[in-house]
Amino acid sequence: MMTKRIFRAVLGISFVACLAGMSIAFTVLYSYFDGQLSKELKNEAEYLAVSLENYGTQVLEDLPESSERVTLIDTNGTVLFDNFFDPKTLDNHADREEIRQAMLTGSSKTVRNSDTFQKQTVYYALRLDDGKILRVSSTQYTIVAVMSGMVQPFLWITFSILMVVGLFAAHISHKIVEPLNQLDLEHPENNESYDELAPLLTKISWQQRTIREQLLAAKQKQEEFQMITDYMQEGLLLIDSGGEILSTNHSALKLLGVKPELQIFVGAHRENVLTLNRTEPFCRTVDAVLKGKRAETVLELDGSYYQMSANPVVTDGKVEGGVLLFVDITQQKQSETLRREFTANVSHELKTPLTSISGFAEIIKDGFVRPEDIPQFAGKIFEESQRLIALVGDIIKISQLDEDTLPYEKEAVDLYSLCQEIAKRLQSAAESKGIDFQVAGQSTIVSTVRKIADEVIYNLCDNAIKYNRPNGKVEVAVVGSSQKALVQVRDTGIGISAVDQRRVFERFYRVDKSHSKQIGGTGLGLSIVKHGAAYLGVQIGLESTEGLGSIFTLTWPRENDAPALEMKQD
Amino acid sequence: MRTKFDEQLRQLNIELIRMGSMCEEAISIAAKVLDGDNTVSTERVFSLEHDIDELEHDIESRCMRMLLQQQPVAKDLRVISAALKMISDMERIGDQAADVAELTGYVASTVAQGKLHITKMAKAAVMMVTESIDAFVRADMETAQKVIRDDDTVDSLFIQVRKELLASLKEEDDNPEAILDLLMIAKYFERIGDHAVNLAEWVQYSITGVHKSDEHHQDL
Repeated sequence: MMTKRIFRAVLGISFVACLAGMSIAFTVLYSYFDGQLSKELKNEAEYLAVSLENYGTQVLEDLPESSERVTLIDTNGTVLFDNFFDPKTLDNHADREEIRQAMLTGSSKTVRNSDTFQKQTVYYALRLDDGKILRVSSTQYTIVAVMSGMVQPFLWITFSILMVVGLFAAHISHKIVEPLNQLDLEHPENNESYDELAPLLTKISWQQRTIREQLLAAKQKQEEFQMITDYMQEGLLLIDSGGEILSTNHSALKLLGVKPELQIFVGAHRENVLTLNRTEPFCRTVDAVLKGKRAETVLELDGSYYQMSANPVVTDGKVEGGVLLFVDITQQKQSETLRREFTANVSHELKTPLTSISGFAEIIKDGFVRPEDIPQFAGKIFEESQRLIALVGDIIKISQLDEDTLPYEKEAVDLYSLCQEIAKRLQSAAESKGIDFQVAGQSTIVSTVRKIADEVIYNLCDNAIKYNRPNGKVEVAVVGSSQKALVQVRDTGIGISAVDQRRVFERFYRVDKSHSKQIGGTGLGLSIVKHGAAYLGVQIGLESTEGLGSIFTLTWPRENDAPALEMKQD
Repeated sequence: MRTKFDEQLRQLNIELIRMGSMCEEAISIAAKVLDGDNTVSTERVFSLEHDIDELEHDIESRCMRMLLQQQPVAKDLRVISAALKMISDMERIGDQAADVAELTGYVASTVAQGKLHITKMAKAAVMMVTESIDAFVRADMETAQKVIRDDDTVDSLFIQVRKELLASLKEEDDNPEAILDLLMIAKYFERIGDHAVNLAEWVQYSITGVHKSDEHHQDL
């Protein structure tokens, strides 16, 4: 562009200069030659006039062939002599302008153009002493003719000049622009170019530095943001005002079930957020947020529950997009359900004995009971209140374990002797059902909380007896190794089906609901075992075959506290 | 002009996803009601069916406007024409979901349905619809192919259900009217499966430009 302009300018100037020079030269030369011609005519006329006076008309006859046209005119206008034409053929010249003028003033000069303007004739007339007029005339090309004759050579000259100038201009313009083209804009300050460019280059350099810094800052920000969001447990989605996804994090993609191999961002083509999830609550929430309203909903995805909170991004009163946050509330939801069930169960379990107590007491109050039957009724009231006390006791235990704030200290406990102690306590219960209760193994010491370990093992043994068949067997085995200590309670009872195995540790869950009343118990035994074991850091294993019996295994890890215990033993 | 057209295409895509989502919901509610789930109501299916019909008209006029104003070619044209075909299949699915929901009222108390394979069939059909919409949303050829394959499962389940219904009709252990209704429900699900296959085929068409029916013609 620049090269072209320089080229054109040089060429244009040369052309104009050429044109101007030629026309000036032409004008000057033409007027010079014109003046020269008139002077010559005048001289010739004057010589002829002198010759005529001295030598007579013979002079005219002797004029050479190449001479200008000479005419001698009488005073009355009759042509006396003409060296180009026969005087007889020429008419009277008295009315010709130059003749008239010459008669009046002595001499005159006129110029007459031919019909075509191609030529012009210059006349010079001189009055002789005898009154005759001598006229010399010369025909020459007019300026128009000269000019038109010169057009072709003129064009040739101009063309050749322009050719030369063109070559030169191309070269020069290239030469001027070349340093500009060779500027190293990546490193603007390293250039040796025109001084005039220096401020520009400095400015460019400064701007480049600013841009680099800003890009770096932006990149860092972006990375920071991505890091933060990627390590977030919660899912995060940013959408624009059209509902298209601007940004996501791993959690969001994972919980919305997007396969990792599915690329969400393919170039400039952005996916709509509805392609990730299109359920009705999701659509509704997205719609609301794109209208500029906050919205919340609970989504069920793959069996997990997520609280979806959507906040609009509003700039100058216009919705620019939305931020969608997904928080996993499955645990919350589950514990909520459990708690609800627990409350319902507790109320039910508490109400049953209370209703009985109130019923028996009412009958006695109204005097429907014979005095001799009163002890029996009182006994029933006592039984029920015992049951109530046991139940409340169990609930207290569980909630204490649940709270995890029991102020118990760990101590060295011999599991074998603990089991034997428990066996003794349960002796009568076992005997009444005809159950053979055995404790096997050897002394195994672990560091644990005695009261809770007692509670856990007692409940397991109690269940083993309660849910056993008559004349069945309960075996408690205590095994110790360097890494762990095991307490295994094996019974020959009714067993637990695979479906129930998952639920037996829940509060108030009964495998055989119809017989629970006969067996007794609060329905909290295994729940206490579970919570107690969790408190102690003990694993519970359960193997069971329906109709054959169950094996509960408690595993104490020993690795860490073994040396400490040995010291204590010493 | 082009950006406007792109925007229109995007809108069309969103509307289609919405319509598909409504169909999914309608059919899955109908299946749940059939399964004896009391937490959902058939009323929702009827209102969904109404919405689906409205959305169909909406999308139809949207497509027509785009065809006339933008005169799309190549892939854009395929997408729009596939959309036009898909909405009619989706609308049929919506209608049939409503029909099923209406019939469930009459068969809810019958004993037979529990033992029948009709619940399994309903679930298979619902899955097909869901997967065909998935295939559309993610432009996923594989999922579309799977839907087309799954149709055989639904078809064979239909034959099985028919046999079972015939057997219980002979044993006269159930209300014959209910058995007829159940047969119709089974047929509706079978049809829904077919519509899901159609959807999947149009998804494939909009991606590749080859419709299943074209392949058949070439074979002939």
